Amino acid sequence: MTAYLQAAGLDHSFGGLHALRACSFEVEQGRITCLVGPNGAGKTTIFNAITGFLRPDGGHVTFRGRSLNGLRPQAIVHAGIARTFQNLRLFTDLSALDNVMVALPRQFAEEPLGAIFRPLRAARGQTRLRADALRILDHVGLADRAREVVRNLSYGEQKLLTVARVLATGAELLLLDEPASGLSAGALDAVMTLLRRLQTEGKTLLVVEHNTRVVQQIADEVLFLHQGHLMARGSPQQIIADPALAEIYFGGAI
Amino acid sequence: MDFLYSYLALAAVYVMLGLSTNLLVGIVGIFSVSQAAVFGVGAYIVAHFLMAAAPLSFLPALAIAMVGCIALNILVTLPALRVSGDYFVVTSFGIQLLATAVFTNWTAGTGGANGLPGIPPPDLFGYQMASTFQLMVLCLCGLLLACTCFWLIMRAPFGRLLRAIREDEHAVAAAGKNVLRAKVSAAALAGAFAGMAGGLYATFLSFIDPSSFDLDSSILLLTMVVVGGARTLAGSIVGPFLLLAMPQALSMLDIPTTIAAAARQLIYGLLLIAFMLFRPQGLVGERL
Amino acid sequence: MLALQLLINGLVTGCALGVVAVSFSLIYATTKIFHVAHAGVYTMAGYVAWWTVSRGAPDIVALLAAMAVCALLGALIQGGLYAQLARRRATHLVVLIASLGVLAVIQNIIAAVFTPDILQFPVPWAERVMSLDSIRITYPQLLTVAVSLAAYAGVMWFAHRTILGKRIRAVASNPFLAEITRLRPNAVYVYVVAIASGIVALPGVLVPLDLGLQPYGGITPLLTATIAMIAGGVGSISGAFMLSVAIAVLQNLSLLVIPGEWSIGVTFFIFVIFMLFRPTGLFAAAR
Repeated sequence: MTAYLQAAGLDHSFGGLHALRACSFEVEQGRITCLVGPNGAGKTTIFNAITGFLRPDGGHVTFRGRSLNGLRPQAIVHAGIARTFQNLRLFTDLSALDNVMVALPRQFAEEPLGAIFRPLRAARGQTRLRADALRILDHVGLADRAREVVRNLSYGEQKLLTVARVLATGAELLLLDEPASGLSAGALDAVMTLLRRLQTEGKTLLVVEHNTRVVQQIADEVLFLHQGHLMARGSPQQIIADPALAEIYFGGAI
Repeated sequence: MDFLYSYLALAAVYVMLGLSTNLLVGIVGIFSVSQAAVFGVGAYIVAHFLMAAAPLSFLPALAIAMVGCIALNILVTLPALRVSGDYFVVTSFGIQLLATAVFTNWTAGTGGANGLPGIPPPDLFGYQMASTFQLMVLCLCGLLLACTCFWLIMRAPFGRLLRAIREDEHAVAAAGKNVLRAKVSAAALAGAFAGMAGGLYATFLSFIDPSSFDLDSSILLLTMVVVGGARTLAGSIVGPFLLLAMPQALSMLDIPTTIAAAARQLIYGLLLIAFMLFRPQGLVGERL
Repeated sequence: MLALQLLINGLVTGCALGVVAVSFSLIYATTKIFHVAHAGVYTMAGYVAWWTVSRGAPDIVALLAAMAVCALLGALIQGGLYAQLARRRATHLVVLIASLGVLAVIQNIIAAVFTPDILQFPVPWAERVMSLDSIRITYPQLLTVAVSLAAYAGVMWFAHRTILGKRIRAVASNPFLAEITRLRPNAVYVYVVAIASGIVALPGVLVPLDLGLQPYGGITPLLTATIAMIAGGVGSISGAFMLSVAIAVLQNLSLLVIPGEWSIGVTFFIFVIFMLFRPTGLFAAAR
């Protein structure tokens, strides 16, 4: 049986820094998998490698049996994988609604000819897009903030918006980079509830997360990464209870 | 009255160029000093076909010019956009200097440094336009067309995509959109506007020479967008109207003709510095 | 033989361009700013020297005055404009436009004060010529080569052997780290632009000895120099210098087949080739 998402032998160096070494892991469909590890373990590098922002020196990634090697980021989104960024990278001068609308696939008049020569059809398409985007914002709980410019949203709301943006792409595998970091308790609960709901709707999630409480509450499986290599995998209880891993995570040197 | 018509006609041409420059510089964020070169290509193509042995009427000549300018912009931006933005600076300067060299030295095609006199006025569907008033109306129609197109694309998903690209193009790629294609499309559209402006300019003035299409002219176009304001329709209109009125204002001061040109360019330079330092959004635009 | 004469002319021009390229490369690699106003500083050098010599000062004083004025001008542009823009979190595009504005201001002030016509240096020894067979080499050409090579060697020594040079290279390779380790990148930027501006005064004075002074004559050499810098690989001083010589030689030799007005086309063609096949340049500095 071919794995849903499979990374095999990923290897990458940035100058003298060996970020990924023979990194191999699998993600199962329909599960929430958490990627944990100390700073510098290579978690964001893995995200960049999977989503085409980085071409690894060695190894390859396959999704549903199809190799992702060498594909540009846009192509990988079309294949069904979308990611968020640790530093959000929202379009801050645009409204929340616009942020989601940009990510919706297959839009009419996304190029000048359609916009100029078929303005009525473009306008009709926009109405549909707006409705779709509003639905997605409602899904993450931001419907009442739709018209607000992103720079006026709270940090928690902006984090929800990043999830809305990846949902808009229609991807089935979502790579979330620290969706819960920096959030107050209330916002944290909202995010966790959302992630679990996405899972029931059939999405697969690969989540980088530092917060052990979050990992315990949402993860079906945990991948522990250290120095660019998969050190351990198991259920959250197994990983968190392991004293050797705790030593690396909390006390280890970078 | 003729003087007012001339001012309005020229202003219309320069607003089209302002829209073109605004698309490239304000919206896509490319540093371009070659807008005047594309303007010139449009002008020379229309002039050529209007004065050819088997002349074309105005609209077909204009269409050819627009296609030529679209192709030129695509050809120029496509390779440059694939590498770092600074390399486009070199490309843009190169295009402008090369174009000036061609306009000045290819005497057979462009009349060389003496330019092309005697460009016939446009004929639309058999109707000859000769008076300044009629030509002004034609230019204003072109202006209306250009402004409508600009307004339509900015409202459409294409406009939203361009705004997002300007903010964070990697995030746009991460959302599954083809950033390069969007940028090149915007550049192509900018070429269309510049080509149309060039054709109207050629028939309106009935004489063109390389000095209207040189690096100094490109700097003027940049100044128009900077002063008027980037990325907005209003900015593309205000900038040209103001800066075209400036030589008139300057002539009221007693500046000797030998340094008049240098004085104008000096003011453009000062305006660029001042606005970038103190008001990067221009008068009625958005922050560059 | 014509080809040999063209080759020699190319070598001379190439050395001068090499200094322009090296000085521009110093600024670009450190501040990451595409300092188009550098063409204005280059132009300013010649006019300062001309003005000084016209007042009766010795040639060497004129050269030093030009270097000093340019260094000051460079420091002013970096500290007074670029640093201000950085403080206001200006985008890259904004800085480029401001730099273009500075170029326009410098060139047009010069044109207003000294007229746009070509000025010749009133220096008698500039016309002396050395002849070997049918090859002519002017004294300014010899001087240009000597000074340019010395400047190139000087910059290499400075960058690799002096503390300030190493500090500059550290800031260039990692501005963020430099900021938090108290290397004070902003001060370093001012030093770099001042030094590079002083250096570019050398070809700025020597080239017009042969070709005459012109207010708008700075952009073409700068363009060629930046192409050499890119083709040689950003961050490689030697790459910038060597490619400048190579491009200048190719440009001159092309005169055998193409009229002079199109030589900008040759340079541009070389640039396009590099962009298509090797955009990172030949000797890009290891990251």
